[in-house]
Amino acid sequence: MAKPAVVVVGADKGGVGKTTVSRTLLDYFSANNVPTRAFDTESPRGTLKRFHPDITEIVDMTTTADQMKIFDTLNATSPSVTVIDVRAGLLSPALASLRDIGFLDAAKAGQITFAVFHILGPSIASLDEIAETAGFMTGAKYFLVKNFINDTQFFQWDQATYNSYFHRIKDATELTIPKLNEMAYEQVEVSSVPFLKFVANKGIHDEAANYSFVLRGYVRHWLANVWSEFDRIRLTDIVGSKPVTRNSEK
Amino acid sequence: MPATPLYIICSPRPQVGKTLLARLLAEFLLLKNGNVAAFDVNLKEPSLLDYLPKVTETADVIDTYGKMQLMDRVIVDDGLAKVIDLGFHAFDEFFKMTDEIGLLKEAARRHVAPMILFVADTDRVSARAHEMLRGQIPRMNLITVDNELIIRGELPPAMAGGRLFRLPALPGFLKTYIDRLNFSFTGYLRQEKDSSTELHQWIRRNYLAFRELELSLILQRS
Repeated sequence: MAKPAVVVVGADKGGVGKTTVSRTLLDYFSANNVPTRAFDTESPRGTLKRFHPDITEIVDMTTTADQMKIFDTLNATSPSVTVIDVRAGLLSPALASLRDIGFLDAAKAGQITFAVFHILGPSIASLDEIAETAGFMTGAKYFLVKNFINDTQFFQWDQATYNSYFHRIKDATELTIPKLNEMAYEQVEVSSVPFLKFVANKGIHDEAANYSFVLRGYVRHWLANVWSEFDRIRLTDIVGSKPVTRNSEK
Repeated sequence: MPATPLYIICSPRPQVGKTLLARLLAEFLLLKNGNVAAFDVNLKEPSLLDYLPKVTETADVIDTYGKMQLMDRVIVDDGLAKVIDLGFHAFDEFFKMTDEIGLLKEAARRHVAPMILFVADTDRVSARAHEMLRGQIPRMNLITVDNELIIRGELPPAMAGGRLFRLPALPGFLKTYIDRLNFSFTGYLRQEKDSSTELHQWIRRNYLAFRELELSLILQRS
């Protein structure tokens, strides 16, 4: 049996696209036949749950009861991958909690696979976040995600300054999420379906839908680019699954 | 049942005969099928809308909304042939979009047969555009149009290798005659009793060439 894998998606800043990246991850695992469950820490609302209601549970990561719900079930549940969409401002406290409960030590000892997708915003504050997060990353796969989906320009960044932060973390890997056409993004939001279902022209219950071919095309193209980034970092290998030929590639 | 044809007449150059070809093709389809849907993405050149207002509507690919309005209409397998007269200014944006949204794959899924009629010219812009299309469009779906009035000789070798459609040149006075807004090719065939006139033969030759194009489409599918 593969060892459990936990993928944390977070940032200390709001509106940088954490949930969007979480959604692409869930679609990616689904397309690669990797059994996955998700936790949405945006309690009590939960945007991620709106798109992936069957596999997502809303939790409050600051409570011990919900921490137990996530981490005490890692070995007991059948899905080998757990994706946690961490609410804005909670990434550093969440990592501190994981350290306190011994989770990070377990990751360091190789008992658990632990990956962090740190979504970066355009402001210099994001670079400070990297420095803050670095202290927790021993034993984890750390991915710095530049998310251009909401047309972020990263205008405040001086590349040399960014590099100085980036190199503080050993084995950090950079990922780029490209921009998605605004209208296509909006239409998926309105439809409240996973990107995969939108591309397949299906509704939330797999019923036939009538989305625009143009918008579906834009989403398909964008999702393929995002997934090629995930393929590049060998995400299925990281979570202990074998890569499969996805439907869209057949 | 044959796939629904979608003809896209294009060139990155102005004044190479796109609208003339679109008019001829739309009138041929109208004569043969009784109906056609034409889309004019051609606001800076002589416009198909001016010639065939009853079957033509304007379209644009400037923004996503315009692209949806156009593409969601033409990717439907309803048996109604569609003709897009694509202006030179919209060439790059249109084919960037079709590449991104996967027009060819979706068309195959939906039983729609796109035929890209590229009106050739001898300049570098046309050469680059043709090369781009060869990379994007399967050989069977890309037809290079040799408009004799424009090429005046041999096609550039890179363009001559694939499928060709030859549009013979007309004498200047006949060109002026057919350029009148109220001129109809089919109307002329019906009214002109003398089938030996140069224009009569020119129209019939082109209609026959369109018929062959259609047959090749059917054979390709079978």
